[in-house]
Amino acid sequence: MAELMTIIESHLVAKGFDGRSRAGADGTEYLSISVVALVEAAEELKRQPGVVLIGLWAAEAFGAPGFTLFYAFEQRGAPAFFILEVRLPGNRGMSIAGEFPAASYYEREVSDGFGIEFDGAFDRRRLFLHEVYPDGCHPLRKSFDGGKVLPARITPEREYAFREFGGEGIYQIPVGPVHAGIIEPGHFRFSVIGETIFNLETRHFWKHRGLEKLAEGRTADAVVQLAETVSGDESAANACGLAMAIERVAGTVVPRRAWELRTAALELERIYSHLGDLAGMVVDVAYPAGAAPFFILREEILRWNAELTGSRFLKGFIVPGGVSRDIPIDFLEDLHEYTECFLARFDAALDDIYNSAWVIDRLETTGIVKPELVSPLNLTGPVARASGARVDNRIDHPYGLYQELKPEIQTDEAGDVLGRFQVKAGEIEESLRLIRDAVNLEETGPVRAECRPGSGYAAAAVEAARGQNLHWVYFKNGRVDRWKARTASFSNWLAMEHAVIGNIVPDFPLINKSMNLSYAGNDL
Amino acid sequence: MSLSQIIGNILGPKRAAALVFNESEFEKIGLELKGEIDRVFGRSLAIRELDTGSDNAVEIELNNLGTPYYDVERFGVCFVASPRHADVIIVTGAVTLNMAEAARKTYEAMPQPGWVIAVGDDACGTGLVRDSYAVLGAADKILPVDFKIPGNPPTPTDIIRGLLAFMTTILSQKKKR
Repeated sequence: MAELMTIIESHLVAKGFDGRSRAGADGTEYLSISVVALVEAAEELKRQPGVVLIGLWAAEAFGAPGFTLFYAFEQRGAPAFFILEVRLPGNRGMSIAGEFPAASYYEREVSDGFGIEFDGAFDRRRLFLHEVYPDGCHPLRKSFDGGKVLPARITPEREYAFREFGGEGIYQIPVGPVHAGIIEPGHFRFSVIGETIFNLETRHFWKHRGLEKLAEGRTADAVVQLAETVSGDESAANACGLAMAIERVAGTVVPRRAWELRTAALELERIYSHLGDLAGMVVDVAYPAGAAPFFILREEILRWNAELTGSRFLKGFIVPGGVSRDIPIDFLEDLHEYTECFLARFDAALDDIYNSAWVIDRLETTGIVKPELVSPLNLTGPVARASGARVDNRIDHPYGLYQELKPEIQTDEAGDVLGRFQVKAGEIEESLRLIRDAVNLEETGPVRAECRPGSGYAAAAVEAARGQNLHWVYFKNGRVDRWKARTASFSNWLAMEHAVIGNIVPDFPLINKSMNLSYAGNDL
Repeated sequence: MSLSQIIGNILGPKRAAALVFNESEFEKIGLELKGEIDRVFGRSLAIRELDTGSDNAVEIELNNLGTPYYDVERFGVCFVASPRHADVIIVTGAVTLNMAEAARKTYEAMPQPGWVIAVGDDACGTGLVRDSYAVLGAADKILPVDFKIPGNPPTPTDIIRGLLAFMTTILSQKKKR
């Protein structure tokens, strides 16, 4: 049994609470406790080194009437996840946002979806249900039939209350939801003194599409298709994360060949995503000629995706049990060859940027994410790594071939835009190496195993381009009863509000681009 | 950057010249589109993109149209920052409840005559999320859609081909009037 689990369990027993722990099919440690014991457990968990809240979600009618809350934790250095299962007799829970600030966002999400209230919560505003949803509408409840919602009239009293900032010379700039570029909708409320940002409040979920409700009743294949639409440029990562959770429920062993091809797809996705970010950052400092090589390389990778899998966004390729089609060896040989030619041109493009003082001047010291924010907010991916955190789901919780491929972690200490630029550039080169090492050009084999989940639940996490994406799925008689996806974007968006403070408004697009968080993947 | 590097950049062989773009089909459609835009819109077509609930793949492809491989501005297609500057609104994604009001306002800000093109399966009404409680439906549920370019997502070439077909319908509308 995992060490952390033993500590928490014995702590609770000593305090007179009773909890039963067990290992799940996914290697995750589960501990069922009451809502009163939760606060005690949270306090004890906070005292343990390196414990981070990585997810919080609810399920209804999960084995028994009423609600069950799931608090997912990880401890830096421990491969297994740790999930507290809290049974709620009614619809009142306890907030643990005091111990784990990341909980606040999750608690608001659970309140919207299920109508569960959290005692002690410091922020009770709605999250993904905007004012247009009538009061008392909780779409993730089983009693909600999933049909259409009659939009409510938006009166001034029902309007969303942004935090108030007053004082001499402070004014607000509201931006969005519809922005000036070809970009997803979101709202940013800047409080500004002169040109300097004093505070930023983001309001998202304009694109809330109700994906988790749509998953209910679907088969394994159909729900993975839904995962691909969480965020278009994370299609492979989310399909893989959910497929892994489903495979754990079904007890499926994915063939090695399938993992080779999955790894290639996952790393290609990281490469094209990061290339877009590098190009975007360079465009945002008004150097389009410097960005052009990155755009060209990205387009080539998108074409490779189409060549290899039939989709420029790798959609429909990763399926429960493996991959949907084999890739001919000669295609893969060509890909190997291409990576060489890619690397030379990529390095030349990077040299151009690193030798351009005016570009570096804009990137350096801009939008710093302080390292002490990483654990409380559960920051993940390049955003965390650029602030010195050695976190990477491929290394911390290895899946597929990553145990043997041993990806080399890319980190930076500065936490600024330049740091994120360098981390992403380093990761592109490392991903090329992983693709070359993952794909065996000699042997082939089956690419898909049978995967028939019956009943049960499991969690799985992948390292998407933006960081750790967590999937948890509960199957009942071969159909999805509850699917929860928590993307890296959902974790990382809060970092934006901190990173922009003290910067000037014109640098906001640059900071935003350096993190490149997904709106669709956040809003679900 | 040293002086010899700068001179080398001007006079030396360009890195891009070494890359062979086999884009004859895209070139052909693009030039045809340019001809149509010249005739109908007076040399340039101004497009405002409006995302009402896509998964962002369509946005990435629309952005790609402006990158060096495609560079559609040379055909007279430009993406503008405000609906007030737009001839056409391109809607991507099913219309979510949360976005409906903002989408209406964006459309109302466009000068008339203006057109609406739905791009991507979700905006065209055949996407995965059409039955969700959180979406009103396809783009035509709240905006007068003139033309549809389906795909999950449509490739840059699909989009340009769609724009060309859209020009043809505009032309026939004009003749009828």
